[in-house]
Amino acid sequence: MIDAERFARHSAPLAFALAAAGFVAVLVVWLDGGGTLDLDWIPTLDARLTFTLDGIGALYALLATGVGAAVFAYSWRYLPLHLSHQGRSRGEELRFYALMVLFMVSMVGLATAQDLLLIFVFWDLTAIASYFLIAYDRHEAVSRYGALMALIVTGVTAVLLLVGALVLYGEHGTFALDELIEAAGPSSTVTLAAALIALAGLAKSAQVPFQFWLPRAMAAPTPVSAYLHSAAMVAAGVLLIGRTYPLLERSQLVLDGLLVIGTASIVVGGLLALTRDDLKRLLAYSTFSQYGYVVVMYGLGGPAAAAAAAFYVVAHAIGKSALFLTSGAVTEATGGKTRLSQLGGLGRSLPLLAVASAVAAASIAALPLTLGFFADELFFDAAIERGTWAAIAAVAAAGLTFSYLARFWLLIFAGARRVAVHRIPVTMTGAVVVLALAAFAGGAIAGPVSAIAGDAGEASVGIPVAVEVAYHLDPRAANVMALSAWGIGIAILATLPLTDRALRAFAHIGARAGTERIYGETIAGLNRLSDRIHNFEVRDLRTRLAAVLVPGGILVVLGVIATPTEDAYVVGEVRGREVAMVIGLALVSVAAIAATIPRRHLTLALALASVGFSLSAVYAFFGAPDVALVAVLVETIFALLFVGVFALLPARVLKREATLPMRPSRRWRDPLVGLFSGAIAFIVAWGALSRPTATESIGSEHSRLTADAHAKDTVTAILADFRGLDTLGEITVVAIAFAGVVALLRRGRLR
Amino acid sequence: MRETPTSVLTQVISRLLLAPILVIAIAILVKGYADVGDGFSAGVVAALGILLQYMAFGRAETERLLPISLVPLLAFIGMLIALAIAAIPLLRGEALLTHVPEPRADVVEVGTLELITAVGFDVAIFLLVLGAAVGIIHAIAVVAEGEKR
Repeated sequence: MIDAERFARHSAPLAFALAAAGFVAVLVVWLDGGGTLDLDWIPTLDARLTFTLDGIGALYALLATGVGAAVFAYSWRYLPLHLSHQGRSRGEELRFYALMVLFMVSMVGLATAQDLLLIFVFWDLTAIASYFLIAYDRHEAVSRYGALMALIVTGVTAVLLLVGALVLYGEHGTFALDELIEAAGPSSTVTLAAALIALAGLAKSAQVPFQFWLPRAMAAPTPVSAYLHSAAMVAAGVLLIGRTYPLLERSQLVLDGLLVIGTASIVVGGLLALTRDDLKRLLAYSTFSQYGYVVVMYGLGGPAAAAAAAFYVVAHAIGKSALFLTSGAVTEATGGKTRLSQLGGLGRSLPLLAVASAVAAASIAALPLTLGFFADELFFDAAIERGTWAAIAAVAAAGLTFSYLARFWLLIFAGARRVAVHRIPVTMTGAVVVLALAAFAGGAIAGPVSAIAGDAGEASVGIPVAVEVAYHLDPRAANVMALSAWGIGIAILATLPLTDRALRAFAHIGARAGTERIYGETIAGLNRLSDRIHNFEVRDLRTRLAAVLVPGGILVVLGVIATPTEDAYVVGEVRGREVAMVIGLALVSVAAIAATIPRRHLTLALALASVGFSLSAVYAFFGAPDVALVAVLVETIFALLFVGVFALLPARVLKREATLPMRPSRRWRDPLVGLFSGAIAFIVAWGALSRPTATESIGSEHSRLTADAHAKDTVTAILADFRGLDTLGEITVVAIAFAGVVALLRRGRLR
Repeated sequence: MRETPTSVLTQVISRLLLAPILVIAIAILVKGYADVGDGFSAGVVAALGILLQYMAFGRAETERLLPISLVPLLAFIGMLIALAIAAIPLLRGEALLTHVPEPRADVVEVGTLELITAVGFDVAIFLLVLGAAVGIIHAIAVVAEGEKR
């Protein structure tokens, strides 16, 4: 344990170095013109391991590694504090970094994968890693609940992605994206597949109506939220949309759907963010609202919008991760305060953090001198191209964003100071400052981001896209829109005391009738159903048998009714040498009927054994010595094991069970089920034996091949050779059963 | 399983039968490819022989006489052999459980037994069944003893 702890202490620098090295490597390869890695994976399924570092790949890979590095630097000091607050060992850091790195690698894989199957694999890997990361504080019920919700929402919708991929494969015979894009024309099949894929992406990006999982996921430690819920997990959704954009673009319906869902997400997220008190939850609502912008831009369509979407993702990821890290630093500095209503006036105590987070917030709110200003400029341009209404909606959305971010920052850092502030480690502030500097530098020199966003747009739409952003000091449309957005934002902020009640009512309605409620009811309903089935089917052996035999029997009856019965049931003759077999069968019947009478367990076991022994005799007469031998041996050892197991059970339990009066409902049900299924089996056997197949059966084929397989005994050759895989499965079951029995007897409470 | 000693007659006969039973088990195994029987039957026969000792002598005496603690290991070895025989063809790019030598090729013969990997697979089944059955018998005997105390 000491060693694990010592090792864990080095995992933060190690993870940081890995992320930084990954960032540099991706940057170098991309500047070198990108590259493709193409390997065979599952040739029979046409699945290939194809990775390309194109614009989209480079953009998201750089985000994943770059923001990853900042978050790892932050966690270096944050995580030990977090763990010590909860009285946990530092050894648990190892799990954190292992999962974060797994997530980062999956994210890079997802960003560069060029094959739908491969994308699906990485997609689910990110979901699995995120499940464990959100539930990192696993002793907290809210963490486990939030993690499970994120996993279920993104995992179930991931199946839609797989279905979409399979629909495309069925139509075009390939999973490779470039081939699909070339082959797929506008058709209803492509529309269906595109809609499914888009839905998977929207759920991952927490868009309405799947938005509810994101605020719940805020139960995760702050670095996890900062990473997964700004630059990675939620970004994966729009990454998928950008990656499959040429397919989505084939259908105007899908694009319009994106537009509607994106707009709804912006509005719902923005309005709710205005009412939130919890720091991280506010940021969560803000996050899905911001990704709504990106979705809207993809919905607007066209090369410029695709590039603008990519640009926006970069600007948002940098700013939002800085704000998440700020919220963690603030909570740490104030000794655990997580609510805006508890905070205020921290600007004088934490000046550096205040300035850095102001820059980050300004970038998302699109103030000049930040990267976000250009992002909004592109957004406005795209909206103008679409028409007046889109432009008005864009301005309103930008105003909303401005207002809730201003509220967030002002309530933390401005006003009167209400709480005592401790010093916080310099790496925590440092990570925020670095991200803020990146946002600021992007505002001064937008060239690199423009270049990569243009490349990403090109990867989405297939034609070169030039992204040109600059400050223009003239009354052009985008500038006017930005100015009016700020005005609207200030107006919203000023009237907040008046509108607060209405906003809260809106939030209340959402909680009562929203999709989160539907999710909760569905899960609770499924749980109840599962409990009911468990009680009915699993806990009672006889009900379970009846549940199989009766429906199976009814199916057979239907089959018998549907089949012509003429000549189907023949009563044959008994020849002289078959008399012994008939006697054996009569013995089986007598033993079987006798087995229904005894109530004492030992007698019952012996009666069942005598059924088995009589049946073995029939096999022997029937000319199946191999089967007869195995049957005798199995019956012997089972009878003895039954006796041995009865010896373990307390005598009074056996006695009580044997003398318990039968439940009235059982008195008739069980015999009827038995008679019914017995009669069905009889009819089927009779019908099958009345008409021996004329063609050469598989049996004689096996007999013919036996000599070739170096054997003289067909049964053994079947077991070890022809059907060896079945045997392998069966002996595996024997081994597992053995392990189970031993574990139960050793540790179970059989006493 | 029983603490009370069984009659001397039972004990003598059980002891006398052990060796023949094991020989029969081996015979069933070896002749499996030429005659009635296979690894599964052989494993059960051998396990029955050992079960007989448990019933006649009780656990302590049987486990003093036979290396029972090693028997569950046989199940593990058997499973490993079976998986190896199944999986090694994959490394050569052939289907799972492809046996060598190929059909109709020349093979080494020992009496009626032809040495091919399918026989090894059968031996693995024998070891697994014997190990699992005796392991379960042992576990039941241990618990039954605790019950008595």
